[in-house]
Formats: sequence, C-alpha cells, structure tokens
Amino acid sequence: MKLAGLKSLESAHDDSIWATTWVPATETRPSLLLTGSLDETVRLWKADDDVVLDHTNTGHSLGVVSVAAHPSGVIAASASLDSFVRVFDVDSNSTIATLEAPPSESWQMQFHPKGTMLAVAGGSSTSIKVWDTATWQLAASLQIPRPESSKPNDKIATKKFVLSVAWSPDGRRLACGSMDGTISVFDVARAKFLHHLEGHLMPVRSLIYSPNDPRVLFSGSDDAHIHMYDAEGKSLIGSMSGHSSWVLSIDASPDGGAIASGSSDKTVKLWDLSMRAAVQSMTNHSDMVWGVAFRPPGGAGVRACRLASVSDDKSISLYDYS
Amino acid sequence: MACVYIPVQNSEEEVRVSLDQLPRDATDILDILKAEQAPLDLWLVIAREYFKQGKIEQFCQILEEGSSPEINEYYADVRYERIAILNGLGAYYSYIGKIETGLKEKDNHFAKATQYYNRASRIDMHESSTWVGKGQLLLAKGDVEQAFNTFKIVLDGDPDNVPALLGQASVQFNRGRYSESLELYKRALRVYPDCPGAVRLGIGLCRYKLGHFERARQAFERVLQLDPENVEALVALGVMDLHANDAAGIRKGMEKMLLAFEIYPYNALSLNYLANHFFFTGQHFLVEQLTETALAVTNHGPTKAHSYYNLARSYHSKGDYEKAGRYYMASVKESSKPQEFVLPYYGLGQVQLKLGDYRSSLANFEKVLEVYPENCETLKSLGHIYAILHQTDKALEVLRKVTRIDPRDAQAFLDLGEILITSDTGAALEAYRNARLLLRKVGEDVPIDLLNNIGVLHFERGEFELAEQTFKDALGSGIWLSLINGKENNYVVDAFTALLQYKDVQIFHRLEEEGSSVELPWSKVSTIFNLARLLEESHKTLSAILLYRLILYKYPEYVDALLRLAAIAKARSNIQLSIELVGEALKVNDKCPGALAILGCLELKNDEWVKAKETFRAASEAADGKDFYASVCLGNWNYFAALVSELKKQVKHIPVHLEKAKDMYSNVLKKCTSNLYAANGLGMILAEKGQFDVSKEIFTQVQEAGSGTIFSQMPDVWINLAHVYFAQGNYTLAVKMYQNCLRKFYYNTESQLFLYLARTHYEAEQWQESKRTLLRAIRLSPSNYTLRFNLGVVMQKFSASLLNKEKRSADEMRTTVSELEIAISVFGQLAVAFNQNIHGIDEKKIETHVSYCKHLLEVAKVYREAAELEEQQSRQRLELARQVTLAEEARRKAEEQQRLQMEKRKQEEELKRVKEMEQRFERVKAKEVEADRMEFQEDMDEHHNDYEEPTNQLNTVYDDEEDMAQDPLAAVGLEDSDVEDEMGAPTTASRRRQAWAESDEDEPLYRHEDSSPLGENTQQHETGTVRDDENETNVEADDDID
Repeated sequence: MKLAGLKSLESAHDDSIWATTWVPATETRPSLLLTGSLDETVRLWKADDDVVLDHTNTGHSLGVVSVAAHPSGVIAASASLDSFVRVFDVDSNSTIATLEAPPSESWQMQFHPKGTMLAVAGGSSTSIKVWDTATWQLAASLQIPRPESSKPNDKIATKKFVLSVAWSPDGRRLACGSMDGTISVFDVARAKFLHHLEGHLMPVRSLIYSPNDPRVLFSGSDDAHIHMYDAEGKSLIGSMSGHSSWVLSIDASPDGGAIASGSSDKTVKLWDLSMRAAVQSMTNHSDMVWGVAFRPPGGAGVRACRLASVSDDKSISLYDYS
Repeated sequence: MACVYIPVQNSEEEVRVSLDQLPRDATDILDILKAEQAPLDLWLVIAREYFKQGKIEQFCQILEEGSSPEINEYYADVRYERIAILNGLGAYYSYIGKIETGLKEKDNHFAKATQYYNRASRIDMHESSTWVGKGQLLLAKGDVEQAFNTFKIVLDGDPDNVPALLGQASVQFNRGRYSESLELYKRALRVYPDCPGAVRLGIGLCRYKLGHFERARQAFERVLQLDPENVEALVALGVMDLHANDAAGIRKGMEKMLLAFEIYPYNALSLNYLANHFFFTGQHFLVEQLTETALAVTNHGPTKAHSYYNLARSYHSKGDYEKAGRYYMASVKESSKPQEFVLPYYGLGQVQLKLGDYRSSLANFEKVLEVYPENCETLKSLGHIYAILHQTDKALEVLRKVTRIDPRDAQAFLDLGEILITSDTGAALEAYRNARLLLRKVGEDVPIDLLNNIGVLHFERGEFELAEQTFKDALGSGIWLSLINGKENNYVVDAFTALLQYKDVQIFHRLEEEGSSVELPWSKVSTIFNLARLLEESHKTLSAILLYRLILYKYPEYVDALLRLAAIAKARSNIQLSIELVGEALKVNDKCPGALAILGCLELKNDEWVKAKETFRAASEAADGKDFYASVCLGNWNYFAALVSELKKQVKHIPVHLEKAKDMYSNVLKKCTSNLYAANGLGMILAEKGQFDVSKEIFTQVQEAGSGTIFSQMPDVWINLAHVYFAQGNYTLAVKMYQNCLRKFYYNTESQLFLYLARTHYEAEQWQESKRTLLRAIRLSPSNYTLRFNLGVVMQKFSASLLNKEKRSADEMRTTVSELEIAISVFGQLAVAFNQNIHGIDEKKIETHVSYCKHLLEVAKVYREAAELEEQQSRQRLELARQVTLAEEARRKAEEQQRLQMEKRKQEEELKRVKEMEQRFERVKAKEVEADRMEFQEDMDEHHNDYEEPTNQLNTVYDDEEDMAQDPLAAVGLEDSDVEDEMGAPTTASRRRQAWAESDEDEPLYRHEDSSPLGENTQQHETGTVRDDENETNVEADDDID
C-alpha cells in the first residue's frame, strides 16, 4: 500500500483551494478533477498524467467551500460561503439550478450514490438539506433533534452546526458531522433521525462511508484524530492519531483498504486500515491541505487508482495509489 | 625460679627473695635492703624486676630510695651502681615523657629525666652510659641534632659502644639518613654479634626504607629466627606481605598481623593494619575495637592519624557522618601536613559534603588537590561542590580538566552533563553521549538515568526520533513495547473506547489473564513517563495514553500521569473527563499545586469564574512560593476580570483588577526573574496602560528567551507583540507578526488570529486583504457569526471607499454594486439567524447596516449607470471618430473612383466614337464587333458595383450620427439629475458614514479586539499547563541524575 507522487501544479488557482472532487468519466471523455477556491472560481482539470486546465467557472461570490459531482459525471455542484449552491452541466458549464435554503448555509455536499439526490450540510440550521436531482426541489430537511433538556436559549445552532455529510454506499443512510464533534445518523427513506455517534469533541469536518461496508463510517476532526465507527451499532471501532493538527478532509480508497487524509499540518497521510496506522505521510504542500479525493474507478484508459489533494498553497498534487 | 639473695649484714646468711614473689609493698624490701646494707646492684635487680612485672610504682620507690642523699653518702664510693640507678630513673622518665600526651606532664617528665642524668654526670662526667641515656632523652624530646651530638661524644670516645651505636643509628634513621643508619646498625652487630634481634630489626627497617625489600625481608626473618615472638618484625613482614597487594600476600600478611596481635595485642601498627583489613571485610565492630586500642597504646602522630582515619572510615561507611567527621578531623590534626597523609582530608571533604558544609569540604578537597593535582576523584568532588555553590564556571573548568586527564572517565562526563544541562543543552548532550559511549565500551550497563537524560535532552531539542530510540534503549523490553507498537491492537481499540468511558484498567487485567506479565519497575517509571510525553508530542496519543495508564495501573498515586491524561482530554476539549482526572489527582494529594492550577484553568473554560479564582488561590498557597504558575494564573484571572468589567461597562473595576494583576506578576518576577509568563503578563498590563515601548521591550525579550527549546515556546507573546505594533500603527509589522505566529504555532488554524489580522488590514485600509482574511477565518470557524458580521462591515466600508473616490470607473462601480449586494445578503442572513438565537449580534445594528448598505447600493447603482454611460459615451466617441475617419476615407476613395470612372467613361466614349467610326468602316465584319460589345457590358457592371458600396457605408454612418444626436440629450439630462444627487446624497451619506465610523461600524471590530486577549489568555493557560507539566518532566530528569 503506497502513494507515489505524480505531479504537482503550483498556482492552480489565484488563491487558496478549498475543495476538490473527481467528476466520473462519461462515454465521451475521461474523468475530470473539480476544484473550488477562495478566488471564487471553480475549475475543471484534465488530470491524467499532467494537470491541464479544462475550463474555469465563475459566478460564485465569496469563496467556494465545497464541490460535488454526480455519479453519472454529467452534472456537478459547487457551494460557496454566500450559501448558494450552483448546479451545472460539466461539459457546457450551463447553470442547471441555483439552490438556496435560507437561513441554512451550505457546507460539504455529496450526491446520492445513485444520483437521485444531493445532500448539503446545512450549517446553523442543524440539518441536512436533501435536494431532488430531477426537479431540484428541496426533498427533505433532516433535522438534528434538540436535546430534551436544552433551553431555547442554548447555543444549539453553534454546537450542532452541520459541517459535513456522507451517504452510505447503499444510499439508505445519511450521516452528518457537527461543530461539537457529534455525528448524527439518519434513515433516509423514513427521513428519521436514528442516533448520535460520539467520540469527537471538536468539529468534524469530513465524513466518508467505507465503500465496502455500509456500516463503517470514517470521520476526521479538529482533534487531529480519524475515527472509525460502526454507524449502525453506534460504537467507536477505532481511533487513529498521527496528524499534528486538524484533519480537514478524508476519503476512502475505492478498494476500501485505505483512507487518505488531509490536514492543516500540511501533510497528506495514507492509513492502512488493516494496521489502523498511518503508513505514509506526503509533504508536497506548503500549507494546510483542504481536500483529498480518490478518483473513482472506471472510464477508458484508467490504469492505476489516483489520489488528488488541494491546499491553501494554491497547488494541486496528484499521486498514484497502489 | 629466679631469686636473689640479700646477704645478711655481719653474717654468712642470706635472705632469699624470690623474684616472682616480691611483696606488693616495696617498703618491705626496702627495709630489708637498707637494714642489711645490701649492695646497690641488688637494689637495681629488684627494681628492674618490679619494672618487668609492671609494678612501676615500686620500681620508682626503690630507685628513688636508692638515689636518696643518705644512700649517696653511704655508698659514696660505689659510683657505677649509683650512676646506674640514676640512669635507670632518667631512662624511665624519658620513656614516660615520651609516651605522655599532656604537654605539661611531658615537660615535667623530661625535666626529671634531665635532672637524674645531670646527677649521674656529676658523679662521673665520662660515664658513657649516661651520655647514651642523655642521647635517648634528647631523641625522645625530638631534639635529633642534640641527640646526634651526644651520641657522637660517646662514639668519639669509644667507637664500639653498642648502645651509642644503636642510638646514633636511631638518630640517623629519624633524620631519614637510612644508609648511615644502616651502617651504624651493621657496626653494632659486628661489635656485638649476639645482640638482640632488635638490632637486626633496625637493619631491616633501614633496608625497607632504602627500598631493598628482599634484604629487609631477610633481616626481619632473621629477627624472627632469633626471637619468634618479635612483634615488630612480624608486623614489618606483614606490612611487606600486604603491600605485595595480591591475594596470597594479603592472606600471609594478615596471618602475620594476627600472630603479632596474639603475641602482643598493643602494637599500634599491627592494630591499624588489622583494622584496615577488617574495614575492607566490613567488620566494623572489630575495626573500632582495634583502632581504639591502637589509639590507646601509641603516641606516634602518623600512626594515630592512621588509627583515627580507620575509625573515621568505619563510621563513614556506616553512614554516621557526624562521628566520621570528628575522627577525620582528629586524624588530620595528628598528621597536620596533607603531604604526609592526605587520605583523611579526602574523607573529611566527603563527609562535609554529605553534611552540607560545602565551604569546608571545598577547602579540604583543595588540600588533597595540592598533593595530587590530577586526582580525578577529588576533581570530580570539587566539581560537584562548585556546582552546588552555583560556581558553574569553576565546576565546568574542573570537570573539563578531569575529562582531559582521563578521557575515559564516564562519571566525569556524567557530572559535566549534569552541570551543562541548565546552561547549554547541546554540550550537555555531548557529555552524556560520551559517558554513554565510554560505559558501553567498558561493557558496563549504561544506567537508565543517563539514557533517560539523554532522551530528555534530545526531546527538548526537538529530535524526537533520537529521543524515542534512547528512551526505548533505556527501558529495554517489557510490556510497554507491545503497548507502543500496537501489537495489542485488539485490546488497544477496546481500551480507547474504554478510556472514553473512563474504565481504564481492563486492558491490563486482560493482558494479565492471558499470561503476559504486566510489570513496571519503579526505576523505569520516569522514563516511561517521558516516553509517553514524547509520544504525545509526536501525536501518537493512543500509545501515550496507554503508557500513562500503565504507570497508573502499577502506581496509582503517580499524579503526573493523571495530569497528563487530563491535559490530553483537555486538548481534545473533553473538559468533563479532564476535570474528573484532575479530581483523581487531587484525591491522591489535595494540595498538589499543579493539579489545582489545571483545575482552575478548566473551571475558567467552563466559565466558573469565582470557583476558578478560589482554585488558583489554593494552588498558589499549596505551591508555597516554590511554583509560580498558580500566581501567574491569579494574575491572569484579574486581567480577565478587568476585560470582563470593560465589556460590562463597569468602568470602576477595571483599574482595580489591572492593578491586582500587575502586583501578581511583579511579585512572581521578584521571586523568579526568569518567569516568562509573569513577564508576558506584566507586558500585557503595561500595554493596556498604553506604555507600548516598555511592553514591546518586555515582549521582545520574552520572545527571545522562549525560543530554543520546544518546552518554552509562547505564541501569546508573539500575539502580544503584534498587538503592540498594531496599537502603534505599525500595521505592516503587526501583519507579519500575526502571520508568523499563525504559521509557527497554529498551523494557520486559529480563526481568532485571522480576525486580528483582518482588523489590522482593515485599519490599514487594505480592504481586499481584510476581506480574504475574514473569509479564511469563516472557512476555519464556520459557526462564528461575528466573523460574518465583520465581513459585511468590511465590504460595506470597501464599497463606501470606492464611492468616495473622485474618479469612479465603471468597473469599480460594478464591483461596488456587487460587493454591496453581497454585504446586504450577508447582513440579511445574520438578521434571519438572529431570530434563532444563533449569535448575539444586535438585530438593530444589523438592520442599520443593512439599510445603510441599501442606501449605498442605490447610490452605487446610480453611479454605476453614470459611469457606464460615461464609459459608453467615451466608447461611442471613439467609435464615432473612427467612423468619421473611415467615412472620409471612403468618400475620398469614392471620389477618386468617380474621377477614375469619369475618365474611363470619357475614354470609353471616345473609344465608342472611334469604334462607331470604325463600325461604320467595318460593318462588313459584323460578327467580331458583337463579341466586343459583350466585353464592355461586363466592365460596366463592375463599375456599378463600385458605386453602390460607398453609399451603403455612408448610410450607416449617418444612422449612427442620428443616434448620437439623441444620446447626448439623454445623457445630459441624466447627468443633471446626477449632479443633484451628488449635491444631496453624498453629503448626508458621508455624514452618516462618519457617524457610523464612530459608533457601529468600527465597534464590532473593536469589540473583538477587546475580547481578543481573552482568547489569547486562555491559550496562555493551555501553554501554561503544558509548560508546567513539562517542567515536571525536567524535574524528574533532574531527580534521576541525583
């Protein structure tokens, strides 16, 4: 299990790069890398052996904090600090919809594994906003319940502020991570809150389900730890330490055997899940690493599995994962 | 049975006196002697017999009676016996004087002896035995030269006088002229070959002194042949055997010593040697007995010195330093010259060192050093004392000398490292590593403390890998290895879960159940603790936790481990668990200052102000002036209180709290000048009072002092320095300082610092930088709505500044409009969020901002249109000019064309005419002419085309001109209305803007700055705790060195 540095592109954006994801390949083109930046642009890159700019999307104000790609590879979404989500056609860059659910902010986003819905972490609304991708209407708002004891004056909105969201691979569950470190799990079909997962006490900025096991959920938190939960059994299975600062982003490798993480300690780490330990630490970046993303399998001419990372240092790095 | 016969006067009878049945009362004998007028030689015989039996009193009585005036008269002609009696008394008193310790008595005895000898001389000047006696007396008095002269007188008269020869030999021996002494002894032996073994003993001693050990041994052995019970010879041989310094020799030597002791238990030398032997075999009781006897029987200074030394050494090794010190002192007094016998000085130095009398100890060691300037042990002791007396330089010098003299002395390197550890960690490390290397070379086990210290030093210098390796070397193998390496993975995971639920020892129970031994020797605890600290620092938190737990499992009262666990919990913001752990620590020791201080910090985090203050106070009392951390915390507490009062507008309380804080900090600094935290606090107070230059100076110094080791880094002081730069308007430096601090200490994650940075940019009117900085902060801290509010303010201010510009480009105005629109939506979101109690920002304030922004937006839109219009106009003007030139060009071209056309036409007409004329001439050839006409028509067509194009162009130009004619009107009208606007709106706008500048607009930002030290100080708490704990690590390391 190994990462091999492949290519780094400096000054890929004019300012910090805050988000990244891969747009799956379609019949007509290979997969593309999608990045969002504080410079208010979203860029698409051909990132096979070299990183080449495909095109730049503008239209956001304030920084772009999150990007998500539809599993079909045809459409993608980007969200900015002004709370708007722009859904666009990847190839033509035409706007398909602009989503907003005030006063909810828009943070991490993820498309349903089948592409039928888009989940958006709703910040201070302490909810996940779920949009129907056919009509682009708000399909559901999954609210974290208030603790019974709480007074209306309590700063619930700050504590349970939803930062991150993840679909289980079977699409039946949604999990969201909050500022206070709790993770909430929802039953999507019944639009019902199930339970909290405890263990972190600092913001959970990134969540990802294991591609192999719909019960296993990984979380990255400001407490510098990556946790591994049995999301159904409510139990903490493992805790991995090694980063010296916040874990900003995590992603699971397509084979399910590894986790990649990006941290404000400037490193990208690869975690072997069988050993539950970091096996590699990449130091390509000179500032905090806001995003890591494994390229989904499939598409013509794809040989090895690939990982991309983006950073405050405005650069994009590519690695071969084997 | 020996007996004497006293002849009865005037008869043939004799009184038989059995010598071993001499009456106890000498008077009985004396009466007989006197009554029978016995010859004087009988008196002598009887006196000598009393002496032999140890009945000194009777001996004296007889001799004194025998030398009384009446006897003198009566026996006036018996000269020799009279002299013999006097000489006997003289010799006796010389001997008494010699062994007498009291000076006065000594003198008395010697005086008496002199008296008797003088009387003897008076009887016969030339009696050689008197001279010999006098010589002995002088020798006993220590007057060696006089003795020499006296013996010489005798020998000049009779070169073969054996007693004189022996006396002179003794004199020479005492003068250290051993070969002369040897000659004299030899002569005595030649003259009197049957003389007692004592003479041969003298020969042996001379030879021994001359270094002819074999011949000395022969001499002693000869003595023993003659007199198997000669103690001196036995002892001498024993000494020689002992000095052979091998096991067989020592055994033989000791046998001889024991034999000597059995023969004569009062020989000081043999007693000393025996004592010495029993000291090494550890039989202290025997040592004391023997030396005390030796002291009782001898008067010889060096021998007594040895005895005292033996005694002292015995007590020393038993740990009775008081007694040992006294006896060392006695020994030193006996020998008085360190050159002769230096060992007691060394012992005394050691004892005084133990007893804490460093100055005296120092003096004694220095005396030893005078004799042996390169004695490493002494130098090391000296180094140790210098270190204790804080004369670090001297200590270093001495120890460096040791390492130079003996570069293989591991202990010296150890000591050197110990001294350097406080001043120069690099050199200390070097020394320790040398020590380690040396020990390893010799094949000795490297002590765990040494490895521990090396590890700590590496740790302190940030060399984590080396440190970890060293700690692991120190620990060897054990349960900890599997804990660190995560081999117990299955348990580890459970343990972590368990840990969160605070059931901690299960893992160890389970390990024990499975047969692994969970052992942790006490000597390794410190190193385990340090290793855990290291793992913590390298973010292997889980392993660190397990090690702390292991320590606690075995030693539940190890408070430091509990406190570290509390700190870990706190770092993961598990305040509740942290408080519980600290509570546990307080159960062990409810006066533990460290635990109390951490508890105080935790209470502050929980906003329990009053409680926190009480806790800090308790901690400060418990520390009892030894640890200032709690005092600094109290200072901080007062400082926060001042800030809180400021927020609550309780203006009265501010100076009170500030003054209290200042007192706290100053007090700590008085007691401990190197307390960085107190200095930082003092700097804050001074800055708060506006004394920026002084505070800047303080902060800079603290910053410098804090760099170097990883344990004393203080981000707060960087922030404070930046604050001072900011307050002084030095924005560039402030920005740099904030940025450096963010990068160096916070991995750029501290949104509060980004807020300071944004505010600095704001004050420097760098709006875009300020905005981006705030956006970053929001990204990091999404639920902090004040950041969003400030973002709105910055955008508003930026827009306003653009609107205020004299020249406004359309681009700028477009930016303004979009910025304002975003600002409004930002404020709008805040307004909506307000209803849900998400943030505490005043709704009205938001409304004011929104309405102001809306107003600005209107203005901006107008400006934008105007600017766009202007832009369009100028674009049109340019276009027009271009068109005009184009048109002119076209016209010119057209005219030219026309002219050419005209000419062509003329030519054609002429040609026509010519052709018509020709036609007329050539009507005959009709076919050919038709073909020609076809050609012409084509030409004509082409010309037509040329005409049409220019006209078209002109038309479009005219169209444009028509448009233009309309546009200026509209433009003028609009601009007029704009002028009105400009006259009215902007003035009110600027007035209002000013009003805001004073109240709302800047206030939010100020407010954050005010709250900023709060955040920053809580950070200080954190670093404070860390420092505290780390101090403990250091302390532990130090302990271990001891």
